[in-house]
Parts: sequence; structure tokens; C-alpha cells
Amino acid sequence: MATDALASPVAGKGWADAYLAAASRGDLFADATPAMATHWHMMLERLSTQVQGDPAVLADHVARQATALGMAFRLTGDEQERAWPLGPVPLLIGAEEWTHIERGLTQRAELLDRVVADIYSTQSLVREGKLPASIVTGSPHYWRVMTGTAPPHGHYLHFYAADICRGPNGEWRVLADRVRTPVGVGYALENRLALSRATGDLLGAMNTRRLAPFFTDLRGGLAADCVRSEPRIGLLTPGRFNQSYAEQAHLARYLGLLLVEGDDLIVSDGRLFVRTIQGLKRVDGLWRWMDTRFMDPLAFDGGSRIGVPDLYDACARGGLMIGNWPGAGVIESRALAAFLPKLARAMLGADLILPNIATWWCGQPRERAYVRDRIDQLVIGSAFGQSAAGLAGGHGVPGATLDATSRATLMEAMTRRPMDYVGQEMVRLSTTPAVIDGRLAPLPFSLRVFVARDAQGQWRVMPGAFARLAGHDDIRAALMGEGDMSADMCVVDARPVPPDSLLGGAPAIRRVGGMLPAKAADNLFWLGRYIERTEMVLRMIRTIVGGSIEADLGPSLASPAMARLVNELALWHAVPGSGGAVGSLCAQALGDARQPGSVRALMGVVANIGEGLRDRLASDFWRLVRLPLPRFDEAATETLLDASSRMIERISALSGLAAENMGRTEGWRFHDMGRRMERAINGCRLVSLFGGDDASADDLTVLLDLTDSQISYRTRYLTGPALAPVRDLVALEPQNPRAIVWQAQRLADHIASLPTLRNDGMPEEPRRLADALAARLSPLTGDTLTMADIADAEHRLTALSDAIGQRYFLQVRKTQSTDLLA
Amino acid sequence: MIYHVRHRTILHYAAPVRLARFNLRLKPAPWAGQWCADYRLSVDPAPSVIQSRPGGWPVDVARLVIESPIDTLSIETSFRAGVQGGGITPQPDDPTIGTVAKAALIDRDMGPSAPAHYLYASSRAPLLPAIGAWAGDLLGPDRPVIVAALDLARRIHSMFSYQPGVTDAGTPVAEAFAARHGVCQDFAHVMVVALRLVGLPAAYVSGYLRTDPPPGMARLIGADAMHAWVMLWCGPTRGWIGFDPTNGCITGDGHLFVAMGRDYADVAPMDGLFVGGAGQSVQVMVDVAPEQETALS
Repeated sequence: MATDALASPVAGKGWADAYLAAASRGDLFADATPAMATHWHMMLERLSTQVQGDPAVLADHVARQATALGMAFRLTGDEQERAWPLGPVPLLIGAEEWTHIERGLTQRAELLDRVVADIYSTQSLVREGKLPASIVTGSPHYWRVMTGTAPPHGHYLHFYAADICRGPNGEWRVLADRVRTPVGVGYALENRLALSRATGDLLGAMNTRRLAPFFTDLRGGLAADCVRSEPRIGLLTPGRFNQSYAEQAHLARYLGLLLVEGDDLIVSDGRLFVRTIQGLKRVDGLWRWMDTRFMDPLAFDGGSRIGVPDLYDACARGGLMIGNWPGAGVIESRALAAFLPKLARAMLGADLILPNIATWWCGQPRERAYVRDRIDQLVIGSAFGQSAAGLAGGHGVPGATLDATSRATLMEAMTRRPMDYVGQEMVRLSTTPAVIDGRLAPLPFSLRVFVARDAQGQWRVMPGAFARLAGHDDIRAALMGEGDMSADMCVVDARPVPPDSLLGGAPAIRRVGGMLPAKAADNLFWLGRYIERTEMVLRMIRTIVGGSIEADLGPSLASPAMARLVNELALWHAVPGSGGAVGSLCAQALGDARQPGSVRALMGVVANIGEGLRDRLASDFWRLVRLPLPRFDEAATETLLDASSRMIERISALSGLAAENMGRTEGWRFHDMGRRMERAINGCRLVSLFGGDDASADDLTVLLDLTDSQISYRTRYLTGPALAPVRDLVALEPQNPRAIVWQAQRLADHIASLPTLRNDGMPEEPRRLADALAARLSPLTGDTLTMADIADAEHRLTALSDAIGQRYFLQVRKTQSTDLLA
Repeated sequence: MIYHVRHRTILHYAAPVRLARFNLRLKPAPWAGQWCADYRLSVDPAPSVIQSRPGGWPVDVARLVIESPIDTLSIETSFRAGVQGGGITPQPDDPTIGTVAKAALIDRDMGPSAPAHYLYASSRAPLLPAIGAWAGDLLGPDRPVIVAALDLARRIHSMFSYQPGVTDAGTPVAEAFAARHGVCQDFAHVMVVALRLVGLPAAYVSGYLRTDPPPGMARLIGADAMHAWVMLWCGPTRGWIGFDPTNGCITGDGHLFVAMGRDYADVAPMDGLFVGGAGQSVQVMVDVAPEQETALS
């Protein structure tokens, strides 16, 4: 026992003792074998010691790590992401118990793969009467058009996830099988990361098995089924509005896969390609996080806007790995689960090691009668997960909770369409320690566990899980429901886990970052433009409220320069009109979300575009973009001044991140081109507004302010602002990073470094335009520059921006169906 | 009866469309009691690819790819087809609805026209309880299936108003049902839903009607364009039987089968993707003439 008072073993013992006194039979800790109980006690003591015995502090530590990792999620209908509810106490499972679960999951994965294979090839199970046809066709995830297509190496499944639960007697059973997407696997990884950051060396001290090798195996398994030896694999996402998009982006980055949406891909001659700035590049495989329904609008659901036209052809032709194979979801239905015990005996010659909760499909007369007779002891569920009469939203209802009317309604509906219903036994869940209201209390839990094929095609089980601690009864609804918490699950060994060897398995060194999809290039470019636009609006606000270092240019709209500036804000849709007091105009331009050009709205667009680049931007970027606007009060101009200055500092920090932390990849070039393009166009606009032939001293001061060139001017000239020198500095001086010519030069440099699609050595359109622009501007000087030159430059910049879009970005495809019926 | 069919569709796009990929479902799929010969498809401007594709159901799909920008597209098909049969009537030994529903659940067929595919809700045919309540009295489990379905077709025919233009290809069945109006597509969806609600396998069919009626008979509604009706699986002995809710009858030799699926989406005559195009207008000309008549004129 430690003698250090801070290491308070009493507090730790206090946690365990108080918890065990409250826990009932079936609790994971209370039921633990003596060896496992030692682990639990040790863990709780160390956790307690770390926070001087206060569970609330521990919960807070872990929550802060989760936030720092950028973990967040949405429930259906949520506009904003929510903070990730991660419980601080992991579940512990010993090696012996885990081996049993592993064997059970491996067996199920193999069985399910064979069932899917049979359904989409010979259909012998149906023909021989082992599986009713109406169980296959009832699934909304069954796609008859996939019949006869075959995946590489016959692997219909590459991954498999199961929701499993532990009953009061310690028996593990399966609540649901998942093969459409392994939602939760990324969260499990992040939960582990957050927990290990918050708890120091605790996990290592407990001999916790590591998760990383599982992901190496998963990636190896996907790659092994691709035709080429160094395959290009995409993670196909439904897009940023999907609930698990953040998870998908994280996994793509973690596994080194290309995060792609349907728009990024194109099928040509039955082969799949990704559109990149280097043209079309072959794709060898997809890790699919999109339902089959949406994959190809020409073969599945014609209403899909997120799919890839003719992706079906690429599947049918062969040579494309897709994990899991389209249509695999057919085996997820509860109705089919009722047949798995029989199918296991028929196909594997063995009983299921890890059985389902008992399920009766009402499509059979005997089972229907059974369910009807025992409705009080059963949960009535939707056989295929869809809405059914009496089961709103497809959610199950315990028969015992039904009143006479709803029971009669349900019974009648079950008579008319019995095949839409299953009866399932009521599940009682085992509990585990969680921190509730600052103290340890038992909460019911289920685990989502993950299985994947490795490079040899063998099934591997992730030694960990996404644990869901139930906030309510319907444990199977979604990954996380209202009021639920998640937790990590640790598989602990008796002996220390050997660290992974880095020798042998290390990849060959490479220095290129992989190719850039056209849509990512598009997003990066516009991200740059919007950030730059935001900065300019902020500078305009700051100039209006009197941020000028010219003392006599106060917060009044008396001068024509100020009036023009406000008018410009109105043209940029940052304020509704140019009338009103300075304070309220600037407050609107800063914080009025209804003005599409306000700082608040622009930052919203930045966050939105950034969301689509989640796999490419650092978490520091997110922290800055998500910070709320500083407080300001329109009646107190100094608060407006302060808020706009602080926002300009944030933008500078974003610029700093891009300059110092982004690799000089093509992605960085597009981001920087966006900044340069917007800055150059704004520069032309400002010179024509405030640097015209009749510009006043006020005008020129504003121009120097907005282009952040006051200091540069003063270091060059002792006099006040004069037209030709100001024009030279803000438009033409090649050393001034705010000058138009500087932007033009950088744009030309970037474009010259980008890949070309031509093999005849001739310049592409963007190159031609950028070089011409730079060549036009560079010989000019402040005294020869005319306003026609500025107008010409602005025109050329717009043309260049369009040419960049045409050459490098996506052309959007539209769906239309044609009505020919009378 | 042998027919000569010509079907011409002209699409005008308000702005040019390019990179178009269309699925055409215009060629009659093989179906018992019917044959098709001399099928010709001509498309103007000529597509770069015309390809036959699997549809999953009894439907023939042709893929057109037109890369170059177009503002007008003309699609014309012509073929000869023979339709046998007609004269299907309810029989005293017809199975009941309950018997057919039970048989459908245990049928082991997984082919394109297997009853199991047509038992469940589909994207365009959700199982709306309101339709069940409206049709339920006709569809008790002990009623003979063909009589009951004919009653249902007649009820739709008499209680819905046929109004071209009030609905379109995208109108949800719930909307057409609530308003009790629409065209053949809406009526067929209502009937499919009502039948599936009592556990019967019901399919959506697209096809043609004879343009001019035989002497002394009334012209059928829906003969100016493609038509839609319902197939009901009436048990292993009687198989699939067509019901036309737009005309309130069992289909006969004036109904020419083109394609069958779970709902409109599976058999839409034409759908696809293209870039551009702000709006479109469609002209359709259909002529389905008995062959003797053509020979005479």
C-alpha cells in the first residue's frame, strides 16, 4: 500500500467497495473471476488516485480529451454536433472470456458470408427449403440485380460488426448483425485514444491488448482482394451530412485511404476511376460506408444524388473490390437471424458458439402461433427493420406494455401480414460501472464488436469494442441514443502485451502525399477564398469603426471614403443597406447571420467547406474555426474594434497554420491559390474604389489600411499618401505580399507546378491565363498604371478563376427522370 | 391478336444537356402468352452506346449514352407483337385470398417473376394503412382472390377520377389516393398497395393498350401513351393475372405487356442522368394497331 496521502488507496478501495455494495448479480465487475477482480480493483484504485477520489473529476478529464480529439456526433435531426459522451471507466474482459467471444464472432462472420454468397449465386438455401424466399426478398437491402455478380476471391464480406450483450448469468448473445457499415469502429478507436491520454500508463499496466494491429489487418484484407499489388482504395462516404462522417474521415486518415464521395468517382468502360487534378486515376477497391440503394442511380435507386453512375457495371465486370459487396445487407434482418441456428448446422455442421437472442419469425404458422400465445413475455419487432402496422418507425414493443386496443391492432396486423413481424425474447442486460452524477453506479451495457478479414482472408476480431451504456431501453435503435454514454472496453491479459515490432512490417519510404481528388482541390480553393474574404470584411469593419492609425479618421461616415466603404459592404451583402449608425452597421457586418456576407455567415461557410475536408485539415484548424465570435456591443465602438481585431488575429492564425504546418502538396497549392485569387480580386476592387485618378488623401489612407500596407508605405515615404506611390505599393510592388502583382506571380508559380494533362508540352488554359496576367502587370509602375489596367486585371482574374474551375474541379451531374405515361 | 406498335417520344430541353446516360424500358420483356418480333429502336441524335442490361425483374433495359450536347432527343420504337388469351374470368374453384397469401410465403422461386419479390412495400408503394382501410372490406381472407381483385379494380375505376396532368411520375401514392384522382400509374400503385396489405404478391406492369377499340366497343382509357396496370399472383395454379384499375377490368388481348416490377421505379420507360438542362417538354405518340387493320388500309 502506498503511504503517500495523495495516492489515497482508501479512496480507490472506497470506489470499489461502494460500487460492489450497490451492484446486483450479473454485473461485469461483481461477477468477475478472482483474477479479473484484481484487475478491476487495481484499475479503480489507480483511477481514483489520479483524481483524489472524485469520480466527477475523472469524468471531466476524459471528456476533455474527447473534445480535444475533435470527437462529436449527431443524432438524427440534430443541426449542430454534440459533445461526445465518453464514460471514464472502461469495461474489463479477461483473455479467456474474450477467446470465447472471438471464436463465436469468427464463426458467425464465416456463416454470414456463406449465406450472402448463396443468396447472390446459386440460391440453394432457398431451393432446398432451408431459407424461405420471402425472408430474402423482405429485406430492403436485398438487390436482385446483384444475383450472379461475384466479388474478388468470393469474399462477399470484408467486415462484420455485431451488437452483443451479456445476460445475468454471464452468457453472451448477439442482438444484431451488421454488415452494411461498421459504424462505431472509428469511435471505438477514438474512445481508446481519449482514455489512454487521460489515464497515463494505466492501460499498459493492465496488459490491455492493443487495437492498432486490427486496423492493419483490416487494411491488409481490403488490399489483398484488389487486383493491383499497390492498390488505390477509397473509403466511399455518403458525405458530410451523414451521422458518422467524422468517424469515416478519421478512419480514412488513420488507414491511409482516400476519402471519396460519389461525385469524386466515375465509371468508364466498366472500370472505376477517381477524378483528380491529374485526370482520372484507377481505383482498385472501395470500403463502402454507403447503402447499396444509393450506390448507383442507374442500377439501384434512381433518386440517389450521392452515388456513382454505373458503379454496378464495375461490380458486374469484376476486378473491383468492394467491402462489403453490394446487397450484403440482406442478412441483417431479424427475420433471418431466426434461421441462423439451423443454417449454422446445415452449412458449418456446428451449433452457433455465440447465439442470437431467441427470435421467432411470424411468417411461419407455428412460430406465429407461439408468438401470439406468449406475447406478454416477448418483444414484438419489425422483421425487416421497417415501419410496420402497430410498430411505429419499426421499433420493437414489449408485448406486456400494450394496452387492449393497441394489442388488438397489432394482432390484427400480424394476421394480415405476419411476415413483417418477429417475436424476440426480452433481454436483460448485465451492468458495468459508470460515473453518474459524480459517483460510480451500475449501468446496463451492450458492446458493438468488430471483425475483419486480414490479408490472408482470415477473420480477425478487434480486441476491444464500442461499449454503449444505456440511457434507455431500446438498446438496438442506433449506435447512440438520447441519454446514452459510450465507454471503452479493454481485453486484458495476464501477462504484458508485447509491443508491435516495427521491423519487417515497415513500409517503403515515400515522399509524395498521394494524389488530390478534384473535389478536395475545389474545396481547398474555396476555403482559401472564403477565409480571405472574411479577412477583408473584417478589415473593412475595423477601418470603419476607426481602426486606422490616422488619428483624425474617427468613427463617422462623414467622409466620402467612409460612405463608399459602407456601400461596398452592402454590395458584398455584409449589411442590408448603407443607411444607419456606424455601430449597428458594423455589428451587422460582424454578427448578423442573415447577411450572407457577414463575418458570422462567412465563417459558417468556412466551417461547412472545411467539414468536407475533414480528413485533410488539422484539429487546430477546427478549434479556431469553431470558436464563437468575440462578444461585442453595437453601442460601444471599442468592443467592435476589439472583436474585429481579434477575429483578424484568428484569421492570421489560420494563415500561420497553412504556412507552417501544411505540407507543400498540391492541396496546399489550391488552398493558397484561393487566398491569392480572392486577395487579388479584392485588391483590384479596392484600387478602383479608393485609388482612382481623383482619389483624396482619405481615400488613399483607407486603401493603405485595407491592404495592410500603412507600415510599408511609411518605411518608404516620409510624406503623406500620394497617388502614384500608393498605387505602386498596393498594386505593383513585387515585394509586397499584399500587392496585386504579388498574388498574380504566386498564382502563376502554383499553376506552373501543378500537373498537366497534355502530353504535347503546350500550356493548359489556366497556365496561359496566369502567365499572361503576370506578364501584363509586372512591367507596370505606379505612375504608368491606369484604371483600365486595373479593370483588365480584374477581368483576367475572373477568367482565370473560371479556367481553374473548368480544368481542375468537378462538373456536377444532375438526375432527371422522364415521365412518359398517360 | 397481332399488333403493330409504333411509339415515338420527342424530348425538348430548355438548355442543352450533355453526358447523358438513359435507361430505356420500352422493349416488351418475354412474358407467357405473348411474343414480340421485328423490334427496332431508333434514336436521334445517334447515341455513342446502346447496350442491353440486366434489370432484375421481367424488364428489358437498354442503356443509351449520348456524350455530345443535345437540346432535342427523339426515340422511336416499333415492333410486332402477338397477344394470346383474354377471356380470363373468375372460376368457382379459385383459391381464397388467405390460401394465396400462405402459398406466396412458402414459394421457393427466386426468379424475376417469383411471387416473393412482390409481397413487400417498395419505394413507390409504401403500405399505407389508409388504403387498407378503404379496400379492406373487399379483401377478406375467405374471398376468392380473382373476384376480390376485380371488385377492387372496379372500385378504383368508379371512385377515382381520371385526370391527366394532376399528377406526374413523381407523385407519391398517398397524395393521389387522398385526392382520389390521377392517371393509370397512380391507380396501379393504389391497387398494388391494397393487395400487398393483405399479404398478396402484386406487381406493377407497364405496357400498351390497343389504340382504337374493336367495332362496337368503347375506346379504353390510357391508349394515347404507355399504360400501367397490375399483376396479381393468384396461387401456383392460376399464376399471374392482370387487372386494369383504370378501366376496371381483367386484362385481355387488348393489353400488351412490356415490363413488370415492384412499382413504377422498376419499369419507368425512361430515366437517366445528364449534365445541364433547365426544363424539358415531352411529346409522345403511340399507335397500337391490329395487324389486319394495317394490312387493309
